[in-house]
Amino acid sequence: MSIVTLRAGSWLSVPVRPRSVAVAVSMLFGLLVTAVLSLTLGRLGLAPSEVIPALAGAATGRDAIVFDTLRGPRLAVGIAAGAAFGVAGTLFQTVTRNPLGSPDIIGLSAGASAGAAAFGLLWTGILPLPLGALVGAGVAMALVFLGTGRGFSSPSRMLLVGIGVSAMALAFVQFVIARVGREQATVLAAYLNGSLASRSWDHATTIWISLAVLLPCALALSRRLQLTEMGDEQADTLGAQSAAARILAVLVGMGLATAAVSVVGPVAFIALTAPQIARRLSRSPGPNTVLSALTGAALLALADLLVQQLPGDVQLPVGVLTACLGGIYLGYLLISHWKKGTLA
Amino acid sequence: MTLTRTRAARVGDTASLSTPGTPRQPATPPAPPTTRLAAHHLRLGYGRETVVADLSLDIPDAGFTVIVGPNACGKSTLLKSLARTQAPQAGTVLLDGAPIGRMRSRAVSRQLAMLPQSPTAPDAITVRDLVGRGRFPHQTFLRQWSRDDETAVHAALSATNITALADRDMSELSGGQRQRAWIAMVLAQQTELVLLDEPTTFLDIAHQHDVLELCSRLHADGRTLVAVLHDLNQAARYATHLVVMKAGAIVAQGDPSTVLTAELVQEVFGLACVIIDDPETGTPLVVPKATPGSRPARSGFPPSA
Repeated sequence: MSIVTLRAGSWLSVPVRPRSVAVAVSMLFGLLVTAVLSLTLGRLGLAPSEVIPALAGAATGRDAIVFDTLRGPRLAVGIAAGAAFGVAGTLFQTVTRNPLGSPDIIGLSAGASAGAAAFGLLWTGILPLPLGALVGAGVAMALVFLGTGRGFSSPSRMLLVGIGVSAMALAFVQFVIARVGREQATVLAAYLNGSLASRSWDHATTIWISLAVLLPCALALSRRLQLTEMGDEQADTLGAQSAAARILAVLVGMGLATAAVSVVGPVAFIALTAPQIARRLSRSPGPNTVLSALTGAALLALADLLVQQLPGDVQLPVGVLTACLGGIYLGYLLISHWKKGTLA
Repeated sequence: MTLTRTRAARVGDTASLSTPGTPRQPATPPAPPTTRLAAHHLRLGYGRETVVADLSLDIPDAGFTVIVGPNACGKSTLLKSLARTQAPQAGTVLLDGAPIGRMRSRAVSRQLAMLPQSPTAPDAITVRDLVGRGRFPHQTFLRQWSRDDETAVHAALSATNITALADRDMSELSGGQRQRAWIAMVLAQQTELVLLDEPTTFLDIAHQHDVLELCSRLHADGRTLVAVLHDLNQAARYATHLVVMKAGAIVAQGDPSTVLTAELVQEVFGLACVIIDDPETGTPLVVPKATPGSRPARSGFPPSA
């Protein structure tokens, strides 16, 4: 696929792949359609003509309640959290050079859940929940870093240790569930599935600010990460400083995934699948950061639209649906890697 | 016609390559070659294990330096430390007189390029994209692809004769073509110093020859090349400066025709051999001695039925 270079004077020149742009535009369009459907479908849905006034803050009466408290924040949180998961996933997958190396699998999401559980229910009042989740994620990543014996430089060790850390974190969550009262345990269990139900604009602010800060960092790192795909030695001779780039990428990925987990819970497999879908569609090497963000956003928004509109009043948490679909993909991934003999 | 060379020139024994009795010694010695890249008292190793104890080496500018030696003698480790991908345990590598470890990464990468022994091609990458990655040290976040980048990639593709393959996927190429693409990536970096770690490994003999001819052309264009090679005869044919290592130390260095002797090969590789003139180039050619009785001696006559 050919590359077109965007130029402005001599200070700006950015290569762009037409195919990636086409995929990004379609993804954006899909996201837009999903968003409009999320706001309009169902018994409580806004009338299509009311969508634009609602976005402008001019909705009144029932529409205002639906938009401001029910569907608006839910959609805003879903889009940003999906994007954050997508970018975190592509950062981790590039660092581990393995499609399995996503925050779901190497213990990051589980660590963040454990942190959220600990500081949200067990030791309440010490830290706000998002920071508690960050602490949990940080502890999990530190354990992975130490457990591999050589930091983040061995992808296969990182995966194996991560699976162990993930199991430990989930055991800790079970411990918390056993310790706290039944009502709190029910709330925690619901959170651990990952759900977009009853989100507030506060949640939306948290995740959008995190995204606004960390996405540019991810973009700035992605070219150096791209070079590490050729092996550390080659990347280092090109001046990419692979070890430092990897640590920064893990920190940025951790920030994004934790922010997402703290507002929607550990929604499974968005981080695992979004970067792979982005890569397959764009057929372009490297982290595909922007496209992974768009794909993650579209996936989570679409999954949430589906659980909202399921027939009957089941109100399934969105994490259950993504776990079902993502589980199938994970099985496919494991089998294809096993057949190729590249399973870490 | 004498077939064996017995000229001894061992750096360990004699301070310079010219032994006192050597004829044709110029009256005034030529000015010592300047050197941009030099190693001073390097100690190299992994963890507690030391591979190279104390090694100093000047890389002659505009030369084609080839490092040879038995397996695990530390030649690749030395090359990595010269390219700054492995930090020495002691000692310094100097680039233009400055310690390379304290220079900015990208500043070094604009002066010095290295092709590692087995780089990994990313999935689904075209030759042109791969070669373009060599431009990284020249780019910034806003200027990711300038016209200079374009020109450099174009020149690198044509220097390695793979312009026609530019839009092919790396995975579709043969081993020899792939190695050319990697070399093109290193060329796109536009550095005067180019280090190559066993660039001929895993290639068949024709492609080995091909890659070395390419290296030789790059050297003729004015670059300073340093390569680790396995094959002594190839090393002797292409090197302008041969460095022979054994057990982490330099045993001999200099012009291949003076350095490469039967005694040296015996001592360094433990191989009994005779050295003859390469009929094509006149450079030394190592011919291992036949072990008596290991195979039937050939007579000059056609074998009887």
